[in-house]
Amino acid sequence: MNPTTSPSASPAAAESPTSRPGPPHGAAHAWRVVWRITKLNFKARLEYRGEFLMGIAVGAIWQVSIVVFASVLLTRFPGLGGWSSSDVLLIASMRMLAHGLYVLFLGRVQYMNLLVQEGVVDPCLIRPMPVYRQIQLAFFPVNAIGDLVVAVGLFVAALQRSSHDWTAGRITYVVAGVLGGMLVEAALFTALAAAAFHFPATSYWSQWLEELMGTFGSYPLSILPKAASAAFTFIVPLAFIAYFPAGVLTGHGGAMGVPEALAVASPFIGLMAFVLSRLLWSWSLRRYTGVNG
Amino acid sequence: MTARTTQAPAPAAPTAFATAVSRARRIAWITPRGELLAPPRMTATAVRLLVQVCLVVYLWRGLYANTDSSAGLDETQAVGYAVLAVLANRIRGLDRRAGRDTVIQHLHFGTIVYWYLRPMRPQRYYALRALGDQLYGFGWVLAGYVLSLAVGVVAPPASLSVAGVFTVSMLLGQLVLYYVMMLVDLLCFWTLRNEAALLILVFAQNLLSGVYAPLWYFPDWFITLSMFLPFQATLGVPLSIYVGRIGVDDAFGQMAIQAVWIVLLALLTRRLWDRAGRRVVAQGG
Repeated sequence: MNPTTSPSASPAAAESPTSRPGPPHGAAHAWRVVWRITKLNFKARLEYRGEFLMGIAVGAIWQVSIVVFASVLLTRFPGLGGWSSSDVLLIASMRMLAHGLYVLFLGRVQYMNLLVQEGVVDPCLIRPMPVYRQIQLAFFPVNAIGDLVVAVGLFVAALQRSSHDWTAGRITYVVAGVLGGMLVEAALFTALAAAAFHFPATSYWSQWLEELMGTFGSYPLSILPKAASAAFTFIVPLAFIAYFPAGVLTGHGGAMGVPEALAVASPFIGLMAFVLSRLLWSWSLRRYTGVNG
Repeated sequence: MTARTTQAPAPAAPTAFATAVSRARRIAWITPRGELLAPPRMTATAVRLLVQVCLVVYLWRGLYANTDSSAGLDETQAVGYAVLAVLANRIRGLDRRAGRDTVIQHLHFGTIVYWYLRPMRPQRYYALRALGDQLYGFGWVLAGYVLSLAVGVVAPPASLSVAGVFTVSMLLGQLVLYYVMMLVDLLCFWTLRNEAALLILVFAQNLLSGVYAPLWYFPDWFITLSMFLPFQATLGVPLSIYVGRIGVDDAFGQMAIQAVWIVLLALLTRRLWDRAGRRVVAQGG
């Protein structure tokens, strides 16, 4: 990590203890530090302009590849799993939006195995900032810009094509659903990152999880057999990212293979999953002994 | 000790050819040996392949639940194509990054210089490593294919001629893929930061080669665009031959295009290897 990103290197921290009563504390100070580091990270990514633009393109192309695949399926196989095209589009767009937000705010956990290998985690242990936050501040995710641009575009298109009334309640739920989806994705990758403290080859599983989300997270799981659908609900809970929230919004709540209350509670389940994954992360961090034992 | 060595018959000195073969075998064996010594990773590969194959079978059968044929492919062809695509994608699916053994990592950490200090040209070392990777991956593909045939999710080739043409086309496709991946790796010599470019090419490869879905389902403009790129030659053509979407008579034209891509990419990468060596930069000194 760039030394300038360390909070201890900030001018405030460099001042003599005799000139001030003590280092500043509190949430406001913590957010100021986060903002300052993020700005530095952004400038650092701008150092390589070509790579910066390509990074944006990566996010956009990844999302576009999912859109292309989705439009191919919707064109060739209308009435996917009993869902109309506009409803399927809402699932895809909510998942993409949740994914874009996850990449922007919490996506650095996916690089945990590399950070462990490169010994980046070790100095984080002695800095006055939570390790999880430091990992999230390791670099600025330029690809999130491309991710979000395409996702917002598709989301707007999905809302325009939707025949449902967008009341305040629905809008609130769609926002909660997207945030919940972001947290479910973050929870899954945080759990894998917890394993990366001890098994650096977890990138293999991360790639697979990302593939699964891209392939199966954007469509009605009702096209799959019940066993596969249950696996995507209770083992790898992709269903809570967008399928359940979109199903609730489009009136498929009772036909998704789970009690409707469970589907409605998706945003809350996302929050709970993230809290549990953070506990797992902290437990794993306490047992971290460095890449060389 | 000296007396014993003088009495024993001197072992015949290995020929230069035998030395070269032995060296090539050891280099090609690096990645497979790493995998074979990590049973958890092999188990993970087996689990992942099995689950992924099951999921694509479910997905495509679900999609064909209300229709018999789409884009000239029936359910058996579509499922067979999807399963073979999942298996074939494993051929180069090894995780070299965990071992800090990708070209971009060697350039980043400066260890690329060792490629130029060994008594072997870097391009030959690269080719032997890729050969080992691909042979190891082919073992997985073969096991998965036999299993898929046994449980009936993939139909056998329609005839011996289809099997023969498919085999040749698949080999040509793997050569195209080898050169495309090499081109991406060579790009690292010119750009110090190019993870984004690598990712874009991986997406392009997966989308335009037909890994996500057969190109036959895509709009005409997309199929036309992919005809001018090498990606569909890697997987889309051989798998289409296997499932019968491209007939044997039409296959020879497609294989000629694959051969043209191989020649063009081979010439280009050869030139790039020569230039790359002159600009090796070890970051950090």
